[in-house]
Amino acid sequence: METGTLKKKSGGTAGRHLVDLLPFLALAVLFALFCAIVKGKGYRLDIYLKTIFNQGVVLAVVATGAIFIYTLGSFDISLGASTLFAATMGVLTYNATESLPLMLLAIFGTAIACSLFSSALASAFHIPAFVTTVAMLSVLSAVSAQIITTRGGSLGGIGIPKPVVKPLDNPPFKIALLAAFFLLCFFVFQLTKAGRRQKFIGGNLVCARLTGISYNKYAILAFTMAGIGVGLGAFLTLVYTPSVTATTASGIGMSIFVAIVFGGMPISGGARSRIHAALVGGFSYILLNNILELVLEGGSAYGLTQIVSAVFFLAVVYVTSMNYRTALLPR
Amino acid sequence: MKTRKMTKTMLTGIALAGALAATAMTASAADLKIGVLVADVSGEEAQGFRSYYENYIAENYDVEFVYTDALEDAAGEKAAIEKFASQGCQAIISLSSSDRATQIDTCDEYGVYYAIASGVLDDELFETYKGYEYFAGQVGPGNATEFEAGKAMGEYFKAQGVTSVAMYGAFIPNPMHVFRAAGVIAGLGDTYGGTNDMYEMIGQIFADQKIDPAKVEGDVALTAYLQGYGDTTTDEINAAIQKEPEAFLSVGMATTFFTQMLNEAGIPFADIDSFTQANGTAIKEGQLVYLAGKYSSSIGPVFALIKNAVDGNPIRDEEGNAPSFSQGYLVATDGESFDEYYVADNGDAPIYDKETLDSIIGADVTYEDFKALVESK
Repeated sequence: METGTLKKKSGGTAGRHLVDLLPFLALAVLFALFCAIVKGKGYRLDIYLKTIFNQGVVLAVVATGAIFIYTLGSFDISLGASTLFAATMGVLTYNATESLPLMLLAIFGTAIACSLFSSALASAFHIPAFVTTVAMLSVLSAVSAQIITTRGGSLGGIGIPKPVVKPLDNPPFKIALLAAFFLLCFFVFQLTKAGRRQKFIGGNLVCARLTGISYNKYAILAFTMAGIGVGLGAFLTLVYTPSVTATTASGIGMSIFVAIVFGGMPISGGARSRIHAALVGGFSYILLNNILELVLEGGSAYGLTQIVSAVFFLAVVYVTSMNYRTALLPR
Repeated sequence: MKTRKMTKTMLTGIALAGALAATAMTASAADLKIGVLVADVSGEEAQGFRSYYENYIAENYDVEFVYTDALEDAAGEKAAIEKFASQGCQAIISLSSSDRATQIDTCDEYGVYYAIASGVLDDELFETYKGYEYFAGQVGPGNATEFEAGKAMGEYFKAQGVTSVAMYGAFIPNPMHVFRAAGVIAGLGDTYGGTNDMYEMIGQIFADQKIDPAKVEGDVALTAYLQGYGDTTTDEINAAIQKEPEAFLSVGMATTFFTQMLNEAGIPFADIDSFTQANGTAIKEGQLVYLAGKYSSSIGPVFALIKNAVDGNPIRDEEGNAPSFSQGYLVATDGESFDEYYVADNGDAPIYDKETLDSIIGADVTYEDFKALVESK
């Protein structure tokens, strides 16, 4: 009987390990597949990889910051709008001062302030944080659009001179930024009491409160980290294209959600949250979209890539949820 | 058991992906490969353009067109150009306008020719980029042409004796729609914020982000105004209809959004769109009484610009800069005039057919040849 239980436990552990490895395996498979398709078609892999990286890095940094919010069992739908607003403020600041440090200050200050404002509103009115982020989405989008279209006039957008950020538009710089931010997040998430407590809150808020853990305190930390991610995302967006239009970063909000799921993290947060989920999932998502674009190129049907992507999303949720479809708390 | 099931699911996914990949291993055989940047993929105008390129141009020239999905922002446009460059496209035709400056810079970086087929650069931006080696030029209605198209619509209804109109501003502050809307007000003989000067009007509209009916003054009353398309649009159009305007003037997309409602309400309406089958039905059987439109093959000259550039004869103006050709709108006010352009531009004999295009494609073709042809259509 005891042996049977042990075998069962061992099988469960193996299954869990496999599930933990799945996002990495999926990323490796998607990467290999992508390279094979690009090479098979005779396209230039170097340019394609650079583009994929540029697309993925913004999503990865914003989503990595967002992991802290998702871990609490909440989510922030306004991250795309915050990215747009922070970039807009950055452009306005640069154009007023011609100072890159001040532009960075404006970007990060705006991003963190927006994020904290959502958290403060939620705390003040005792409503779930995601509710305030829905309101922030509308407000930030509208304000950004107003600024951009008013100042952009017939150009439809605002921007900074390309030479200001052109020297930074290279993979080594972006990799360094991504690595630095990831290490910071990894440290806070994995190696500090704050990170562990956030997972506890996400796993069971009632138990966390009963043990004296303050939700608000860790929500502020989570939204601050998310704000830094948004600031970094806004800056990298400007580095890639030094202009902002009303639709800049509009797709990021939903992409973060998908990326985190692709990275193998449960959308309910808690103890199974993984700080690498956004990084792995973000690049997997971008690779998948590009594979579908390549496979379905010629435009057999507009929107087909989104449909296939949605099916893939459901499949991933199904597979990753197999291992935690249980009444018991994770152990 | 669970592990086996997961592994099986995963392997099925990989096998499926592999099969998809195998189907993708086909390379282009055409001499010329052109990437097309598209923002609006579902509009009738966009579909008409695509049909012309794929079903006529690709049939008559050794060229392959590849298209983007709907592009949302500048980053998407830049990424699309990079991918096209990777795929061996020698040129890009742009129907997307989030950030034209970055588009041109990116094409220049990758040595890919670039031309604009919709929503031309404003004067300042054109001055900046006209000397770029890989900027092949632009063909389409300029901002002044957009203003004139709106003005002609307003003048038409003023001449019909209407005294009250409702107006749809489409996607103001999209510059194209701003210029058209300002033109409509001027054409009606009204003023906006006390002026009918084009630049003063558009400056105010950009600042207002819409047409403010309180600022419209003149003989023709603006009884209702709406713009965009969202959750409240149905209520807004119903409210506009209840004001019983004598005409509904739109600066774009009304035939896509409101044809049925305006037909049912019996309100004559006007739009700036394109010569498509649906618009033909609306003008013959419905209440559409004025259509200023582009025709599908109007993007033929842009292809010619690109073909010449890739073949080593980039068309340049007298000063050696990229050309900017203005195209006007064709106007139909009944089924007969609609057919004159629609039928003429469809099937095997579009307005810019092979014979016509061949007259502006070749090593000896000059800027003057091009200008003469484009301005004659």
